[in-house]
Amino acid sequence: MSTETTTPAPAGVIHDIGYQRYAGARLGRRYVAGSLYVHGLRTAFGFGRSAKAKIFPWLIVAIVAVVAAGLAAVRSQIGEVVLTYAQFADAMSWLVIFFVAVVAPELVSRDLRSGVLPLYFSRPLHRADYVLAKLAALITAVWLLLGGPQLLMFAGAAFTTDKGMGGVWDEVLDLLPGLAYAAIWAVVFASIGLLVASLTGKRAFAAGGVVAVFLMTTPIVGVLMVMPSTTVNRLAGLASPSSLVQGVGVWLFEEWLVTDTPTGIGVGRFGPVYGAAALLLIVACVGLLLARYRKVASA
Amino acid sequence: MSTISWLTARGLFGRRRFLLLLPLPLLVVGLAVLARWAGVSPTHWGGPVLVGLGLAVVLPVVALIVGTGVLGSEIDDGTIVHILTKPLPRWQIVLPKLAVAIGVTAVTVAIPLYVAGVLAHSVRLGLALAAASAVGAIAYSAFFLALSLVTRRPVLLGLVYVLIWEGLLGNYVSGTKVLSIQQYVVTLADRLAPTSLLNGSVSVPVSIAMTVIIAVGFTVLAIDRLRSFSMAGETS
Amino acid sequence: MTTVDLSGVSRWYGNVVAVNDISMALGPGVTGLLGPNGAGKTTLLHMMAGFLAPSRGTVTLDGAPTWRNPDVYRRLGLVSEREAVHTFLTAYEFVLASARLHRLPDAEAAARRAIELVEMTSAQDRRIGTYSKGMRQRTRVAAALVHDPQVLLLDEPFNGMDPRQRLHMMELLHRLGDAGRTILFSSHILEEVEQVSGTVQVIVAGRLAASGDFRTIRRLMTNRPHVFAVHSSDDRRLAVALMAEASVTGVEIDRTGLTVRAGDYGSFTRALPKVALASGIRVRRLLPSDESLESVFSYLVEA
Repeated sequence: MSTETTTPAPAGVIHDIGYQRYAGARLGRRYVAGSLYVHGLRTAFGFGRSAKAKIFPWLIVAIVAVVAAGLAAVRSQIGEVVLTYAQFADAMSWLVIFFVAVVAPELVSRDLRSGVLPLYFSRPLHRADYVLAKLAALITAVWLLLGGPQLLMFAGAAFTTDKGMGGVWDEVLDLLPGLAYAAIWAVVFASIGLLVASLTGKRAFAAGGVVAVFLMTTPIVGVLMVMPSTTVNRLAGLASPSSLVQGVGVWLFEEWLVTDTPTGIGVGRFGPVYGAAALLLIVACVGLLLARYRKVASA
Repeated sequence: MSTISWLTARGLFGRRRFLLLLPLPLLVVGLAVLARWAGVSPTHWGGPVLVGLGLAVVLPVVALIVGTGVLGSEIDDGTIVHILTKPLPRWQIVLPKLAVAIGVTAVTVAIPLYVAGVLAHSVRLGLALAAASAVGAIAYSAFFLALSLVTRRPVLLGLVYVLIWEGLLGNYVSGTKVLSIQQYVVTLADRLAPTSLLNGSVSVPVSIAMTVIIAVGFTVLAIDRLRSFSMAGETS
Repeated sequence: MTTVDLSGVSRWYGNVVAVNDISMALGPGVTGLLGPNGAGKTTLLHMMAGFLAPSRGTVTLDGAPTWRNPDVYRRLGLVSEREAVHTFLTAYEFVLASARLHRLPDAEAAARRAIELVEMTSAQDRRIGTYSKGMRQRTRVAAALVHDPQVLLLDEPFNGMDPRQRLHMMELLHRLGDAGRTILFSSHILEEVEQVSGTVQVIVAGRLAASGDFRTIRRLMTNRPHVFAVHSSDDRRLAVALMAEASVTGVEIDRTGLTVRAGDYGSFTRALPKVALASGIRVRRLLPSDESLESVFSYLVEA
């Protein structure tokens, strides 16, 4: 196809085809971090992704939902509280581990693998913002996983209560510690899971690593529990994230968590130690995560 | 040593992630030593360490990492093409890789279990645990290797099997025990060295037969899947 | 002499057709597989290399199917597009392993020869992980050539190479082609194909659009009349008006409308609306035939 030229000599011209510089407001760091958080939360449940990416998260969601519905049904029919709200979180710990193992690699390992971090960090986004946005997304996702079914149980209990509004209020008072306990689960598990996942770009290995950390440490607790020293037994729970969280729970929410004979771990007077250890663990994990991302992708 | 096994072994040991395998066996030995040193009766710690940690976690997790690693990681990064563009019958690719996976898993798991078994009870229990975990390594490795050819996400599916099928359902729904490699291993170890520490819930003939069926069946499946290996397009 | 034959080969993924009824025969010499991105080049190469089953049709190497038949690799080498290598090996170890897997009688000598062929001898004892993109590519070519295959398939071999490496690779392919090997490489850049081979297979949207000598195809495309199917409110009057245009070389009229042959694509498409406007005729439909090949070629020539 020929073009009409008016000048015979070879001449060049840059045509104005309407490109403009962006002159509007720039939304900045907070917006970027916010977007990253929302995107992370959507990724956790496979929204905006292929159907395959939804299988594992929703499988877990389905299981916890079915369990919660079952518990609510049992309670409304027989009137027996099989698990309190707080105990529900304990009972689901395996699934939480698996959920973290599925989601944490999706959040961070993918970005490492595909090498998009330099793209992120060339925006007005600090490395810490990236880490914290991802962490917040994972925490929220785990909390929703545990809290959502609790709300389901609450709805079941509230609608079938025969004590009127007072009964509903009692349920609310039971539910709130349950949700708070779920939040502790979420924060501890998300921090550890994200840290492990951030070490490798291979999602498969990240998932294996997350599961390994949680599973490997459980038997240590089992052995320490049978040691011939009450102090060691009481402190045994510190050795594993799951029992650590349970220890904190027993310390803070004993009334809601321990219904009959103490089947779980007795923390004795060491409750504050568990609290401090959990706090220390979270701070350490976040600190290591931040340190990890200070180095990563700068090469 | 065939070139395939050499390449596979180099791929496994030549990367840092192999070091991830080390803490698991060390943990088994460490806990056994600790319990022994503290003078705790083996009836208390034998179950959690030997079965709860050793046979239920270390064995399947090591087998999963190694079994999906010998072929799965090559499929993942595309280097499998170099091996497939050779005029080799596909069983000559699958079998050496499976052998490496079984060997590495068996050594990594059997040694610490032997030590823990000796500390818990007797040399006989140690040997029984080592032998049973080696047999388990064969079944698990064949299963996870085939899994890495059947799906793009073998590690996750493998974890579902180990955690949910064997770990969760195996404890509550007794029917699933008949299809649980972990139960065969426990049964075999218990048969070889009867102690109060282990109790198998599946009969010995069923365990042996199922182990053989799983090992052979999944190996044949893997060979056939590799024969029709298709280059995939984009990953999801 | 080894030939690769494709007859009626189609491949679809779900309801997306990636390769549509392609038949071709590849003989000795260098052939370029040309087409824009997403035309189905890689799918076709994978089927030739036995890494994908054709949904329909057959792909054979000297009469033997390539799918589920590892024996073809005795005579076939593949350099895939994905830049995947065992980074923990050195180039020599990597090529040597290939030679061993081919069960070559003197694997060491074959490996050294192949590395020399791609001029990687000086770097052969460094780990592949330390190489540049072009060096990795050459290492992969060496591994694919180690058993001296009759057929070599390369998927986008020039991607990511600097001009000097590109020239070197072109020379290598030239030499292999002149030695009677059957070489097929894919590319979406015409200039590359032009320099390495005269023979091209052009793929457009999964279909074989042209094949043969590149210059001949180009001449055919510029010299042949362009055919358009036109349908209007008054076909007969439009035909008369069009015959007066210099760009029109012939008009045929039948029940379905007009078939217009134009000597020059550009001036006809500019003339038609003017003619229609002047004579008050409404053009209902204008269909250029073979448009896809046309646009592909202009795309390839201008790229």
